[in-house]
Amino acid sequence: MATESKVHKKNISTYKIVQIVLGVLFGGYLAWRLYQILIANPVYGADTWLRFAIAGIILGSVYALVAIGYTLVYGILHMINFAHGDIMMIGAFGGYFVFEGLKNIPAPTSADPGLNFLNAHPVISVILAFVVGISIAALSGYFLERIAYRPLRNAPRLVPLISAIGASIFLENAAMLMFGAQRRDFTNPTVLTRGEGWDLPVGGGTVILTYTSVLTFVLSIIILVALYLLVQRTRMGRAMRAVAENKNVAALMGINVDGIISQTFILSGALAGAAGVMWGIHLGLVYYFLGFIPGIKAFTAAVLGGIGNLPGAMLGGLFLGAVEALGPAILGIDFQLKDVLAFGILILVLIFRPTGILGEVLSEEKV
Amino acid sequence: MKTQIKSSLRAGITFGIVTLFLYLIGFTITVSQIIQNLLKLEPDSLVLGVDALTFSFALFMGGLGFWAGARQVSVSRKGLGSALVAATLSGLVHGLIVALVAYITGTLNASGIKMNTYLSQLLPASVQLFIFNQTPAVGALSQLGFLTFMGFLGGAVSYGITVSNLFGRLAGAWRSLWGRVNDVPVIAKFRASPAFNYTVCGLILLLMILLPLRVGQYWNYTLGTVGIYVLLGLGLNIVVGLAGLLNLGYVAFFAIGAYTVALLTAPAPHGLVWNFWLVLPLGILAATLVGILLVVPVLRMRGDYLAIVTLGFGEIIRILSKSDALTFLTGGPKGVNNVGGPELFGWVFDDVGYLYLIFLSVLLAIFVTRRLQNSRIGRAWESMREDETVSRAMGINVLKHKVLAFAIGAAFAGLGGVLFAARNQFTGPEDHNLMVSINVLSAVIVGGMGSVPGVIAGAFVLKGLPEILRELENYRVLAFATLLVVMMLVRPAGILPASRGKFEIQGGGSTSEPGKEGSQK
Repeated sequence: MATESKVHKKNISTYKIVQIVLGVLFGGYLAWRLYQILIANPVYGADTWLRFAIAGIILGSVYALVAIGYTLVYGILHMINFAHGDIMMIGAFGGYFVFEGLKNIPAPTSADPGLNFLNAHPVISVILAFVVGISIAALSGYFLERIAYRPLRNAPRLVPLISAIGASIFLENAAMLMFGAQRRDFTNPTVLTRGEGWDLPVGGGTVILTYTSVLTFVLSIIILVALYLLVQRTRMGRAMRAVAENKNVAALMGINVDGIISQTFILSGALAGAAGVMWGIHLGLVYYFLGFIPGIKAFTAAVLGGIGNLPGAMLGGLFLGAVEALGPAILGIDFQLKDVLAFGILILVLIFRPTGILGEVLSEEKV
Repeated sequence: MKTQIKSSLRAGITFGIVTLFLYLIGFTITVSQIIQNLLKLEPDSLVLGVDALTFSFALFMGGLGFWAGARQVSVSRKGLGSALVAATLSGLVHGLIVALVAYITGTLNASGIKMNTYLSQLLPASVQLFIFNQTPAVGALSQLGFLTFMGFLGGAVSYGITVSNLFGRLAGAWRSLWGRVNDVPVIAKFRASPAFNYTVCGLILLLMILLPLRVGQYWNYTLGTVGIYVLLGLGLNIVVGLAGLLNLGYVAFFAIGAYTVALLTAPAPHGLVWNFWLVLPLGILAATLVGILLVVPVLRMRGDYLAIVTLGFGEIIRILSKSDALTFLTGGPKGVNNVGGPELFGWVFDDVGYLYLIFLSVLLAIFVTRRLQNSRIGRAWESMREDETVSRAMGINVLKHKVLAFAIGAAFAGLGGVLFAARNQFTGPEDHNLMVSINVLSAVIVGGMGSVPGVIAGAFVLKGLPEILRELENYRVLAFATLLVVMMLVRPAGILPASRGKFEIQGGGSTSEPGKEGSQK
């Protein structure tokens, strides 16, 4: 027994030393790069940095929405809902089809006889796109849980995870077969034309604050606040937190655990759907594989913030968006490699601080 | 009665949605063509007054409707009347849903709207077929009537089978026949003796030697691919099936093996034309080393974190291998051409040679897996998979065994990568995308985690079967995704489950079981 514990202790200390050495090396490199790029020989002006930062924050707010879906589900079921990114893709397709449908409805006015509904009533169109996208995604989330996860509730861990992977690939391929493999242009109302917006004069150049980015950012903040209130203040939110804490005790307290789990999936699906429509409106392309990479990154964001932790997921999303937009410039690497950066951060966080920035909020039986 | 009606409605709706889904993904027309080919019907010929394709389609729809009705009988065993009502009701609901959509799409199609701009599989031919090449109204009504009737028929036939216990009797007859064959003294003695095993092994070996010489280049290539997947599956089987570590970035090690052989034997981009036999162990070594380097920092993670980290790692390798920044090193998005192959005493390996090499590697992998599985290490892996805390308490060095499992799995993948790149004389970033990892994982899981025959069967189902059913190529991935979910739901241990260690994956009904509400760690 004595040797066993000694071995154990030794392992931990080497691990710690390696951690510290790697951390110092990485931190030093980062500081050196920052000095290089900001003071010694600045490559970019203030306007470019601002442009990167805006792009990062917008991307980050979308990641935050998706990340919350992961965190909610992980907090309750302790499983990675692998198909979550694909539910986002479904939401994006929902919004796309609404816009395409409305584009084909004529709404002629005396000034412009060729006008269609999409451009005549942009506000209604956008609301409709979000409503449809969110509903379809929420429904998919519900059925996903009912079909692929609920029967496996008490199975060993690997089993629902594999089922989730299967569901994810199923959704991707079903979308590919139904809608085709090509990338489709997400036609916005002309008011929301991508790339148009307010010009901000910054440091000798102008930065365009696009309408789509403002819409995305404002909407996601509203949704995030609403969600936070929902989870913290309402009866349903309290029940969710109770189920996350301990399913059996929650059931004894008269909470319908299955119902709450369904509601969680509906909620997380709705968030992913909103994120999907935003993705479409802001970035302009929908295709079957759209959800995969954002899904993984949002999971990274959830882990970054501490899984099970709602504010953590929001923060993690914003942080990851910022890293992705600013990181390649700061570290001086190719922009093609921004995905590598995101995955690299995931691995680094899991090595150095597996509980995330704000710490995990999981029931004790888990941790 | 009420629950019965509810279950009928539910079955009808489910079948309706599934049928529509098959219609939307274009499966209905594909499968009709397959049926037409199978029945060897001439495309222009008339069968029972309709053209061959429509007839085939009717057969398919009839089968679906029959199934929908037949399913209802097992739910309601109260008597012929109620069984028939339940079956007909589900057929009716099924028919209503299908008829509605058939009518809508048929009308849209007739008015010249091109639906396939949005729903790519709704080509005019497919839509026309869905309304039996009639007018929309007639077609929809015939769908409704046909599906209702088939539901009724299914109910009736299924009721008959259930009442007469036909399957039970057939199974009994088969069992008694099999038992009698086994009871013949010579056969029983032979089956029990070691000579039986040797004979089976000898036959398989003979098959492996003769097959490549007989089947031609195309089948050699296919068999080679299957063989490489068996190899990869066996490696992943050690990681996932035995040690219980879910690795979704398995392709990374495959890629490292492939790139090692490619970069060291191809004339471009480095101009190092080394001997294949020298590079082969190097590729394995490189994959193993990377496996160890990757796993050491992530060892302490929970199982599902490990899955995500390895997935991320696999993507990192792929993105790096196709990035412009590293083109000088890896050949970039275009990949590496003219990868050198093996040569033995002046014999440059052709397709037969490669197949022999792959078979040899598979045999080696099977041997290694078998020996490991039944060794102290294998038992340690399995106990670790069942319950990490307990195995730690039993004195097993969990970290060491995890690294070992990862390293051996990576070595198999590296070998697979070397063989794959050398045989194709090419490797590129798209050879190493996530789908390879998922395919291998599916092979392991579908076949049966931790079981060698299972992995082989899984690889054949996954890579061999699609070659036989060429027409269904488009639906391959979808089918495997469905299979992954369905296997987890109904048979989590796989088609050929491992004899030991059924417990962890079937739940076992014990309260101390690891996955339950994440009570571990």
